[in-house]
Amino acid sequence: MNQPSARRRRTGYLFCLPGMAFLALFLAYPLLYNVWTSVHDLDLGQLLGGAERFNGLDNYRSVADDPAFWHSVRLSLVFTCGSLLLQFTIGFALALLFARPFPLNGLMRSLLLIAWLLPPVVSGTLFRWMLDAESGAYNALFQAVGLSGLSHDWLTDPSTSMAGVVFANVWVGVPFNMLLLLVGLHTIDPELHEAAAIDGASAWQRLRHITLPLMRPVSVTVLLLGLLYTFKVFDLVFVMTGGGPVDATRVLSLYVYEVFFTFFRFGQGAAAGLLLLVVPLLAGVWYVRRLRREDEAPAGGAV
Amino acid sequence: MRPPRHPWLLTAIATLVTAVFLLPVYWMVKTSLTRPDRIQTPDPQWAPSPVTGENYSTALGYEGLTRALLNSLVISCGVVALTLLLGVPLAYALARIRMRGSGTMVLALLVAQLPPAIVLAAPLFILERRAGLTGTYLGLIAADTTLTLPFTVIVLRPVMRSMSPELEEAALVDGCGLPGVLLRVVLPLMVPGVVAAAGLSFLIGWGEFLFGLTLADGPDVQPVTVLLNAFIGQHGTSWGALMATATLISIPVVCVFAVFQRFVVGGLTAGSVRG
Repeated sequence: MNQPSARRRRTGYLFCLPGMAFLALFLAYPLLYNVWTSVHDLDLGQLLGGAERFNGLDNYRSVADDPAFWHSVRLSLVFTCGSLLLQFTIGFALALLFARPFPLNGLMRSLLLIAWLLPPVVSGTLFRWMLDAESGAYNALFQAVGLSGLSHDWLTDPSTSMAGVVFANVWVGVPFNMLLLLVGLHTIDPELHEAAAIDGASAWQRLRHITLPLMRPVSVTVLLLGLLYTFKVFDLVFVMTGGGPVDATRVLSLYVYEVFFTFFRFGQGAAAGLLLLVVPLLAGVWYVRRLRREDEAPAGGAV
Repeated sequence: MRPPRHPWLLTAIATLVTAVFLLPVYWMVKTSLTRPDRIQTPDPQWAPSPVTGENYSTALGYEGLTRALLNSLVISCGVVALTLLLGVPLAYALARIRMRGSGTMVLALLVAQLPPAIVLAAPLFILERRAGLTGTYLGLIAADTTLTLPFTVIVLRPVMRSMSPELEEAALVDGCGLPGVLLRVVLPLMVPGVVAAAGLSFLIGWGEFLFGLTLADGPDVQPVTVLLNAFIGQHGTSWGALMATATLISIPVVCVFAVFQRFVVGGLTAGSVRG
């Protein structure tokens, strides 16, 4: 095992070849082709091959001049920050609860994960129904507990539809946040808490001075993974609102989809798409470098 | 952590939290089993009475639902097969064989998980269209596998690393080639890891939407997620049938999760967070 012969190395490369070749062909090449498309004038006419005209940065200029693009950037920021803040906070609170041993703990935890595993299209359909103005369960629930002020036509009112999709996205994201934070909580030495309790520290003080500081590195990781996932969200919003009403939820991924697949402005779609790629790449590279220092591979979560 | 003084009190709190959280899932199943004329009432019922299968027969009567369910099954199984076929040897080589460039490959596999699907769907649409792959199972399976292959290798590699190499060495000494070692010695020992990877790959293939929307080209290979979205447009207010469709899509997800739960959760959190 520890004397790599030339033959063994050759076999190793042969083992790697199919997988890496596949990713080169279906992932790396399309992404590079996207760069090429972004500096050409390409539309439906030349879809099946034709003479695309090189047009330099024209596509980038038209995207930058499009107010709808900047609107969608703003919406993406709101969607991402809102989702991250809420799912992290709720996930942390749940992790603190589930970190305590109690009967049926594991069962409850697994049940919560269902929310995260359901296909986003299903969750989106589900929340369309839950938030339905006429007979949605949430409005009925609000009325039942005397909060009828909260009954509202959430998804069809442009001023509240963003809150509606963030709400659904937080629902999807909480279990994953909880799971990872729970793993982090379990790494904290319980003796620290015991010693502090003996010294008369209250539960609140222990949370503030022991748990939170020790959870900082894990929290950074969880927030970063959350950022990567939230930035990618497409299905959920597409199914819930399609970007509407009146563009109120057209986040960046939906904007790129529309430019590319509705208007067939391929060059501009590619240009806008590249901007959508930059944020996750920068964040991801930073994260990977940070992990490398810890010499640990992250789990690839399903997105 | 000291055992709490009132463990059952915590159980009660956790039950309440879980119930509130999972209300939408309950509501989906409940709606799908409720008589259509009793679904859209201003004050909804909390339990279906009488329970009826009417919505399911309505949904299965909709054009293309059975076909789409079948398509999704074909695509997901194809994704699992292709992912394992490409991913297992790759993970093994990266875990066990000293090669130049393996560090770069691992880094590439990490970075490969970053691009948003829409950024890939756009060029794939053009390239697959030109290669004649749009509207084929293969085109969809390949697109979905770009999502599953990188994380599968990343999850399997540490699992392979953690196995003791003596068995492999013994098999090699006995004149077994590396491919033979992988098949006869390594894989049987790695069942949990491989099952986790297969389960997650299946779930991703089953739930994938955007590639299906952009590359499927019509009902022949269209996955069921795309059809569900189309139903919202066509049968927007038939909530009973929509929820029956959504429930049908969710059943395999919950089954896969129930069977593979221990493996999947372990695979997900394996090394993802260290305090």
